[in-house]
Amino acid sequence: MIWQDYQLDNTVLRATEAVTLWQTERGIVEIGRDTLAIPIKVSDQRKGYIFHGNGKLLLDTIVETEEGAIGKPVEKEISEPFIMLGDTEETQQRLSIASKEDLTKMGYGNSQEFVAKAEDLFDKFFRGRVHSRQSFGEGRGLIFAFQNEASRLAILVAKGSKLVYKAIGIVFVSHENKVVLKSPGEVVCSNSGKLVIVRK
Amino acid sequence: MSEDLKEEMKKLREEIENLKEQLKDVTERKLRRSRGIYIDIGNRVHDYIEDVMEGVAEGIHGELEKSIFIGPRGVRIFRRGEPHEEDEVEVSFPKVAEVMSALGQEHRLRILNELMSGGKYINELQERLSEITASTLSSHLKVLEEAGLVVQEKVRGRYLITMPGRTAYKMARRVTRFLERRNQE
Repeated sequence: MIWQDYQLDNTVLRATEAVTLWQTERGIVEIGRDTLAIPIKVSDQRKGYIFHGNGKLLLDTIVETEEGAIGKPVEKEISEPFIMLGDTEETQQRLSIASKEDLTKMGYGNSQEFVAKAEDLFDKFFRGRVHSRQSFGEGRGLIFAFQNEASRLAILVAKGSKLVYKAIGIVFVSHENKVVLKSPGEVVCSNSGKLVIVRK
Repeated sequence: MSEDLKEEMKKLREEIENLKEQLKDVTERKLRRSRGIYIDIGNRVHDYIEDVMEGVAEGIHGELEKSIFIGPRGVRIFRRGEPHEEDEVEVSFPKVAEVMSALGQEHRLRILNELMSGGKYINELQERLSEITASTLSSHLKVLEEAGLVVQEKVRGRYLITMPGRTAYKMARRVTRFLERRNQE
């Protein structure tokens, strides 16, 4: 599977109830009821969505060491459209066709307005990746792309206990007992209690 | 005639002595040069070399400062010029007051003491600190969080003592111990 195979559908769906898109001991991504969604497809198969609604991101970007905890958790209300790529079976069951009222609730006059906004985000995410022949197939976990205040994308990649989060001013990589946290002032690497801090 | 001869002989001896002195001086200089101790290269060159050596020394000092902390739990690398924790750095008085205020309460010190052994859920803290009511415990944790001494995980909900929190707690204990000793003396 390569990035240029990904296409944006023009069907607008809505969440019939709150859905937890991803959850581990480190973080949670969830969407509220009535969140709108446009499927991202590959060969007519749903491979992800662009959501817009009341979402929430919780991420414990904290390194626990014997010398004390370093870092702060991320807690964000997601009010801008965001992308999710990956396994969507559970999500599919909680999505149904959106009505005009559902679109109005989110501030859209019609479905095309949401589709246009979703296309912008879709282009922004896939720009630069189309020619790289990178792949993202089955069993590769989940990729989230959230828009921040500066309209830049914060990326969250998660698979099992493996986690990568990259946003403005922070890079957090975690796998079991190994953690790397890069903040503007320092880089912290922790491996089963062993700790290295590099300060600028 | 004999007087003249005597005078001539005296002058010759003086000249011989002078020559001996000069010869001795030259020999000593040669000896110094051969041992590499004495190099007369002028003040400018000397100053230049001194400057270069000072630069090299500063560089080595800086490099050493960068990677000075190697503890049992890991390595701490400092960049050159960054003050170490022990060094005096300018801190705003309101911030000092906030941290000290957070530390200046027995229950909060007990909470920090519990967290020193690892992260804990609020019910675990409640069990261990049964003398503190649930609402008081929550407000104390909030104060500690605001001062940056404690952080709460958003997903699991555990409370963790931060690196500054651990340092502040240790320092508070050290200062108290020091004052107690001084008072006993």
